[in-house]
Amino acid sequence: MNQKNDIAVQVSGLAKNYGAVQALRGVDLTIGAGEYFVLLGPSGGGKTTLLRLLGGFIRPTAGQILLHGRDVSEQPPNRRPTSMVFQSFALFPHMTVAQNVGYGLRLRRLPKAEIAARVDAMLEMVGLKDLADRMPHALSGGQQQRVQLGRSLVLEADILLLDEPLAALDAKLRKDMCLELKHLQEQIGITFVHVTHNQEEAMTVADNMAIIADGVLVETGTAQDLYENPQARFTADFIGENNIFDGRVSGLTGSGVEIDLGFAKFTVDAQGQTPRVSDMVSVSIRSELVRVLGPGEAPEALLQTVPATYGEAVYLGLATSHVAKLANGDNIVARHVSRGGTSDDFEAEAPLTYAWPRTQMRLHLS
Amino acid sequence: MGDDYTRLWTYRLKWLYTLLVVFTLMLPVFYVIYISFNQNGFGARDYVFTFEWYSGIFTDLLLMNALGNTMLLAAITTVLAVPLGLIAAKFYKATGTDRAKLLTVSLLLSPLFVPADILGSALLVFFKNLNIACATAGEWLGVSWFETWFELGYFSALVGLIIYTIPYIFVVILITMGRYKEQQSEAARSCGATAWQAFYQIEFPQIRAGVFSACAFTVILSFNEYTRTSLLKGGYDTITSVLISQMLNEGMSEQSYAMSSLISFIAIAVIGSIIIYTLVHTDRLEREARAKAQPVMSS
Ligand SMILES: Nc1ncnc2c1ncn2[C@@H]1O[C@H](COP(=O)(O)OP(=O)(O)O)[C@@H](O)[C@H]1O
Ligand SMILES: [Mg+2]
Repeated sequence: MNQKNDIAVQVSGLAKNYGAVQALRGVDLTIGAGEYFVLLGPSGGGKTTLLRLLGGFIRPTAGQILLHGRDVSEQPPNRRPTSMVFQSFALFPHMTVAQNVGYGLRLRRLPKAEIAARVDAMLEMVGLKDLADRMPHALSGGQQQRVQLGRSLVLEADILLLDEPLAALDAKLRKDMCLELKHLQEQIGITFVHVTHNQEEAMTVADNMAIIADGVLVETGTAQDLYENPQARFTADFIGENNIFDGRVSGLTGSGVEIDLGFAKFTVDAQGQTPRVSDMVSVSIRSELVRVLGPGEAPEALLQTVPATYGEAVYLGLATSHVAKLANGDNIVARHVSRGGTSDDFEAEAPLTYAWPRTQMRLHLS
Repeated sequence: MGDDYTRLWTYRLKWLYTLLVVFTLMLPVFYVIYISFNQNGFGARDYVFTFEWYSGIFTDLLLMNALGNTMLLAAITTVLAVPLGLIAAKFYKATGTDRAKLLTVSLLLSPLFVPADILGSALLVFFKNLNIACATAGEWLGVSWFETWFELGYFSALVGLIIYTIPYIFVVILITMGRYKEQQSEAARSCGATAWQAFYQIEFPQIRAGVFSACAFTVILSFNEYTRTSLLKGGYDTITSVLISQMLNEGMSEQSYAMSSLISFIAIAVIGSIIIYTLVHTDRLEREARAKAQPVMSS
């Protein structure tokens, strides 16, 4: 494969304004061919806008879109190598399931027999073989989304765009269909660009993902990168459950950065970043790495500790969150695996020590 | 039927009342129909049933000529105004801002709020002035081929009818279009359809009922229109202008009663079938909506 074919989507300086609303501001993004790529972020962040720009449903205010090396910025949807799956209401209600799936093939004027064969194969693939003659209104939400998938995939477009495809489904079904989507993509091997605001959904399916908020691409990486080593404070706040401390850089020693939080001073590794003294920065630590030390339990040398006043325990099944107040009034959360029994009972208002490995702390300059 | 607690006699009373209102409204029409079958015509003491006047219609040159003109006007108005109203409705749905929507609606519906005679005379003055302007320009340029373009006749009558019918078309189509989800067009586009294919293969089948109702409305409105048409039609006769001039002078001829009845029959049949079709259609849509709300269990 030549270089040009290795990149499915290349977007540079992409911006979109709706009147005074800046929905997207100068986004640069590259998506490799054959990747399952997820755009994740809070509602109103601009994910749908980005996806619709890729599909050609709206025109960029500024910037360029290359799909497989070809500039499509001026092309309508039907001339792009993309196909789109919508959240809901997108099936043609006056056509049967089979007619819906065959629509794009009929537009291409393929021979009837070939259309029928390809529709059959696709219905088999998305598990709708027995429902070929149903009308869309007689399908469940999950079945409707399968029909949409089939209608898009049968066209063998290079890039499949999915805008919150599972958002209208209930939690259990969403989980199952997530995995199905992932397997379908692996089987077919085309590029999927999937928009969601649901973190678990994103992490289930994504090879790579991008965090988008306020019209800005915050950060890209694998699910593991973004969960374990987020660069941006926003990512740490949005993904997983992190304790975040904001403070000012008060000293630099080699690769160590000393940060004054007001109620305590932490020293963290710069991790290749170059903060300057008196910059406002943030430090984060995942709540599952934080432990509550029992009364009298001495901390090991490598642990960062802070004093806190115990608040309450929140039982979440697999884990129990122990919430306490820091000296500055902020909450800190330690998530312990639930063990049953009473070994983890702490008294409300008890003065305790929260501790975590120093090396696991992450520094965020932005 | 109402729910389990509906009292039967109030339910019947409501129906009775509805029928009474309709009957009262239609009474003059029934009377015209009644007369049209009377051998002795309007005002006669003896009633002798006959089809004579109906067969007379087709040999009454005045009526046949007027019918031809009216049908031609109605047909051309429908062909021109319905697509215009459809495009206006599509624009209204597509336009993003509330201000643009408000502006569109006020512009399109304004002909409804201008009294017929005022709109008619305004157009009359407009066309007269246009004629004078053309004549002057023709004299000045020394050419005459465009001088008769804006003389009163089919063209001016059509302009009047189109202005008059567009608001109705716009509203009727917009109502059916309201249910249509734009994602379907986008899905079609991403399946490879051009904008036009997405419209006529996906959207049109779903708004067809509205477009056909609008066509029927337009034909009926054009047939019924007197004020604007009579001011703008120039020397041509239409059904309404013939009937009204007869009434104002020697009284309507027996053939005219027959003709009026015939038109009423057709109009009632057309509107009746539209209403029944729409009711059936709405019922079906409701059933589908219910089915959607309670999807078949199983993924
Ligand atoms: N057609 C539109 N007109 C005006 N504003 C819009 C339009 N579509 C989206 N927006 C605005 O643009 C921003 C981004 O929206 P969107 O891309 O839909 O976000 P997301 O899909 O991440 O929830 C939001 O503030 C939204 O209100
Ligand atoms: Mg969205």
